[in-house]
Amino acid sequence: MELSSTLLLAGLERTLNALLARDPAAPSRLARLAGQRILLRLEQPALALAIHFHPAGLDLLRTDDTAEEGFDAVVEVDAETLGELLGGASVERLMFQGKLAVRGRTHLLEATRDLLLDLDLDWEAELARWLGDIPAHSLAEGLRSLSRWGLRTRQEFCADVSEYVFEEARLLPGRHQLETLRDQMTEMEIATDRLEARLARLRRRLSEPGMPP
Amino acid sequence: MSASDKHTTHFGYQEVPVEEKASRVAHVFDSVAARYDLMNDLMSMGIHRLWKRLAIERSGVRPGHSVLDIAGGTGDLTGKFSRMVGPRGRVVLADINESMLRVGRDKLLDSGIGGNVEYVQANAECLPFPDNSFDCITIAFGLRNVTDKDAALRSMARVLKPGGRLLVLEFSTPGNPLFSKAYDEYSFRLLPKIGELVAGDADSYRYLAESIRMHPDQETLKAMMEAAGLERVEYTNLTGGIVALHRGIKL
Repeated sequence: MELSSTLLLAGLERTLNALLARDPAAPSRLARLAGQRILLRLEQPALALAIHFHPAGLDLLRTDDTAEEGFDAVVEVDAETLGELLGGASVERLMFQGKLAVRGRTHLLEATRDLLLDLDLDWEAELARWLGDIPAHSLAEGLRSLSRWGLRTRQEFCADVSEYVFEEARLLPGRHQLETLRDQMTEMEIATDRLEARLARLRRRLSEPGMPP
Repeated sequence: MSASDKHTTHFGYQEVPVEEKASRVAHVFDSVAARYDLMNDLMSMGIHRLWKRLAIERSGVRPGHSVLDIAGGTGDLTGKFSRMVGPRGRVVLADINESMLRVGRDKLLDSGIGGNVEYVQANAECLPFPDNSFDCITIAFGLRNVTDKDAALRSMARVLKPGGRLLVLEFSTPGNPLFSKAYDEYSFRLLPKIGELVAGDADSYRYLAESIRMHPDQETLKAMMEAAGLERVEYTNLTGGIVALHRGIKL
């Protein structure tokens, strides 16, 4: 148990450092963060994680050190909020909602998120190191045109399907038809309401004593 | 202990005169230094990195701390500690063996680690440092090669600052008898073979396996650390007790 979580952390640390090493923008960001330490306390599952930044990447260590004075920032968060944070939610919003507690230098958290989320890997250079410049470039061009083709095909497919469903087969009403229908239904609803009110008034007047039949 | 026992100690399964053990151990490590890292990876199937990582996690080292890595060998722990203590801290890599220290120094310098690392050739039994000078002392896979382990632990407790931690990462005794049997087979049959193939030296690796069996078990080492003046001593068994990580605090 001790070793499997250590293994997971070691794997995560290696992966992150390998990715950071491939990002041309990472060294300057890391240089600003180097020497800083963040304590990340996860509530569920209970886990205290120390993140140490150094010029070549970061160290992830589990810590049983409860003293907070050794850290530049302490972040307390649950797994759900951590997901939101990594998904790009604003730090201030989460703090105001009370889901995220940050003590110390709060900007470290934003800097860390930028470092990890704005990874822009120069993967073509990495391919070139393995395959040589020309094959890597042709492969990269091939992959790029494949991805362009994929995107275009997806857009065209969606357009074709909607055209068929709305215009040709008329399986579903279009947005304008739907809106007209809804307006007419609303008018009818109002008219029936008025009719009902009028009938009620008539009935009341008929049943009132002293009124001529 | 009888009077005659005082003059001999164990070197693997052999009894050798006390004054000879250090030079024999030195010979073993001179012979394996060049391929030490590769052999460690092969013999432990890479798990030694996780054992060391766990030791680092338990060390509680922070920026500005002084750390002593005894028997630091090829500098696995020192490299990481050097980053953790930062430019205000210091890490001393101490080893009794010149060849191992040289391999370690070259490796660390090659990977760009320097500035806050010092190298000291020292015997763990009589550490050449003033009292109360380190926040953390680690000895990973080194204690079993020390001739007088009690003296070494006393010496470490002396140079540790009050509140400082001593971490001993060392081979130990597996709890499960079946696992222990498999482990014996592995270390007495397979290990010297790997040593012969890769490092060209079966005897040294036979010594490593034997010295592991002669090393005190978890509870004995815990008692030894307490006798040396450390408190709150606790240990964690790793990989079924093949290795144990002991931690004591000087109060």
